[in-house]
Amino acid sequence: MTDVAQAIRDTARRLLADGRVDVVIGFEAGTLPLRSSPCFVRDAGDTDRLVWNMTCENNLARYLPRVEEKAGIVAKGCDARSIVGLLTEGRLERERVYVIGVPCQGILDRRSIERRLAGKEIVQAQEGETEVLVRGEGFEVALSKEEHLHASCRACRSRNPVIYDTLVGDPVAEGDGADEYADVREFEAKPAAERWAYFLAQTSRCIRCYACRNACPLCYCRTCFTDVTQPQWLGRTTDPTDTLVFHIARALHVAGRCVDCGACDRACPLGVDVRKLTRKMEKDVEKFFHHKAGMSLDEPLPLATYSLDDPEDFVQ
Amino acid sequence: MAFLCHWCSYAGADLAGTSRLQYPPNTRTIRVPCSGRVDPLFIIRSLLHGADGVLVAGCHPGDCHYLEGNYLARRRFALLKSILEYVGVEEGRVQFAWVSAAEAGKFAQVIAEVTESVRALGPGQRLIKSKAKETL
Amino acid sequence: MTPLRVPKQQVAGLLTALLDQYQVIAPVEEEGLVTFGRLGSPEEAVLDYRNARVSPKGLLFPQAEVLLTYNLASERAELQEAPQQQERQVVFGIRPCDARSFVLLDRVFEGNAWHDGYYLSRRRNTTVVALACPRPGLACFCASVGGGPFSTEGSDLLLTDLGQEYLLEVVTDKGAALTEAWSEYGEAGEDSLRRKAELQQGAEAALAGRVEIDGIDRRLKGMWDDVFWERLHEKCLGCGVCTYLCPTCHCFDIVDEGSDRQGQRLRLWDSCMFPLFTRQASGHNPRPTGKERWRQRLMHKFCYSVDSYGEVGCVGCGRCVVNCPVNLDLRHVLNEICSDRTHQGT
Repeated sequence: MTDVAQAIRDTARRLLADGRVDVVIGFEAGTLPLRSSPCFVRDAGDTDRLVWNMTCENNLARYLPRVEEKAGIVAKGCDARSIVGLLTEGRLERERVYVIGVPCQGILDRRSIERRLAGKEIVQAQEGETEVLVRGEGFEVALSKEEHLHASCRACRSRNPVIYDTLVGDPVAEGDGADEYADVREFEAKPAAERWAYFLAQTSRCIRCYACRNACPLCYCRTCFTDVTQPQWLGRTTDPTDTLVFHIARALHVAGRCVDCGACDRACPLGVDVRKLTRKMEKDVEKFFHHKAGMSLDEPLPLATYSLDDPEDFVQ
Repeated sequence: MAFLCHWCSYAGADLAGTSRLQYPPNTRTIRVPCSGRVDPLFIIRSLLHGADGVLVAGCHPGDCHYLEGNYLARRRFALLKSILEYVGVEEGRVQFAWVSAAEAGKFAQVIAEVTESVRALGPGQRLIKSKAKETL
Repeated sequence: MTPLRVPKQQVAGLLTALLDQYQVIAPVEEEGLVTFGRLGSPEEAVLDYRNARVSPKGLLFPQAEVLLTYNLASERAELQEAPQQQERQVVFGIRPCDARSFVLLDRVFEGNAWHDGYYLSRRRNTTVVALACPRPGLACFCASVGGGPFSTEGSDLLLTDLGQEYLLEVVTDKGAALTEAWSEYGEAGEDSLRRKAELQQGAEAALAGRVEIDGIDRRLKGMWDDVFWERLHEKCLGCGVCTYLCPTCHCFDIVDEGSDRQGQRLRLWDSCMFPLFTRQASGHNPRPTGKERWRQRLMHKFCYSVDSYGEVGCVGCGRCVVNCPVNLDLRHVLNEICSDRTHQGT
């Protein structure tokens, strides 16, 4: 079985040494247990710091529009779809990007682990084949990786990158076709008042730090609608209407483009259920317009096109 | 609030007026060049600023003066309506209609129906901002 | 005043007595996260926690605050200033780093010719009961920035968890006033004080040497054009997590919201990490990229703060470290600056 981390390092070294790219965007070891951190490697001799494991939770495609050099990028299945999105939207030139595709088994949900440990701090963590061994003051627990997979990974149907210049690692089995949107359907079935209460509770935790937005590769507007003051679409207070409208409008803006990588959800420091709205949009786009974001460079963006048969039962 | 496209629904509204058709006076109209001009944020902002309901009316599919605007709008509005209802905004606060320049009667009817259904929902509360709350 | 002992079973009674007279804000749990909340009943308080996810600065400096309201409906324009805080509150069970942050915020909001009435009315009506920190977190570094796990700076009373009981020490007259009603707690004996000293020693040893900041202000002054800044900011997302969770970050924006008839003037948290923070009306932005913004953040907290207030503007709570979505670790940045011989400063 391929040592994916080593393959990434070897590929990066080769790309930098050959001058094929000026920088490789990947992950390096984090400074805390169960963390890794995006890194920008420019020296072929520096590639040993690149890592690959289930803590590689950021969507690195987020850095691509900003980086002006020729860039190699480590891309999980979801990240690769984001790259397709950025290419389709004209934010990148294909020649400038070298995609190091990594078939992905999923990313750990740190919040799920935090909940499991009831707030006890992890001092040391070791990732194994199927388990993560975590140690802290007075405890040592082996946690099932499967059990603490991030929700977006559980729902993922594109673990193998759809675009790549080189693929490191063996292809992985895709998720089965079982109801991909079970989470959304379950929520849709609740009465409106209950859904409203849920969103009020979620947005009351939101501190408008915009970590969710900034972690997203598709949120690249120079001036986000939240910062436009003429006209002012929404306020910047913590009133639920302001916060909720931010999340609703952001979900609308990424509708048809969001690949549900989950980076937004993992970036949130307060555990706001950011994906609740984006998942709904993802399901609607698939149901109404038969489109799945980022699967192919040949497909037009769903909101930049139309079909004569689009649903219009809601129009008088 | 009613966002009416200049070429079809606004003209239809005009015709309703010149034909002296009666309809409820509760609508504040904004003329836009095309229903495709209507950004979902217009609708959301209307609700935030106290509109109890919002209507967007455009040309019938195939008749758009700019050829495709209403098709693009149709996709956008499908998602907007879906997400607002998902969040818990009452179904029926935001409505859409195709009204041509000749359909004075339809315009009056749509306004009457939308006004009644929004009235039945009561004043919009859920997206009305209260004073800025302190964090605790 | 001699320290008192409060057996753990009696803490609920102590909180009940406080709730009778004050608003009590304490760590509470909300869906698996510890934050600060207004206590409805003593049972809601969580006292065996490491630290709350958010800082308590929102208690004195709310994220969104109405400064005044205006109403132009009648003939005369009516301006009404928001009422200042009258209610007395007790902040119960915050950590010494957070208590110390209040002192640093005081320097900003009261430390010069301009006194911020909005902040100060809350501050003056707040009594702080801090809870000492015998088991510092992995990312904590309070002792490296002038604080300590048992520091009393910023608190009026200090509690120490001794196992079966709390040691209660009075720090200020304000704290003494709070204890006047508590006649039922006995004086702490020598063994309690000894136990506290042990815990303190252990905590301070655990925190020793975590972050190097010796001469950081001087070093930063000499680094303005250093190539160090080119790469530091690259992974930063430019979000507001570090600044909003930070107990001492205090930048704000003042905006008006409303119509031409009526509205409010608000003070809102703002973040120097946001790209538009320094964009001027002309469109010019003196801090156009993350490089300038990260440089500014470090300079503000570790250089300008020393120039203005004599201390670094950081209490070492570690929230920015733990919660940064890309694990951009301030501790490593500080260590790198202070360990590199090229950054000798001026």
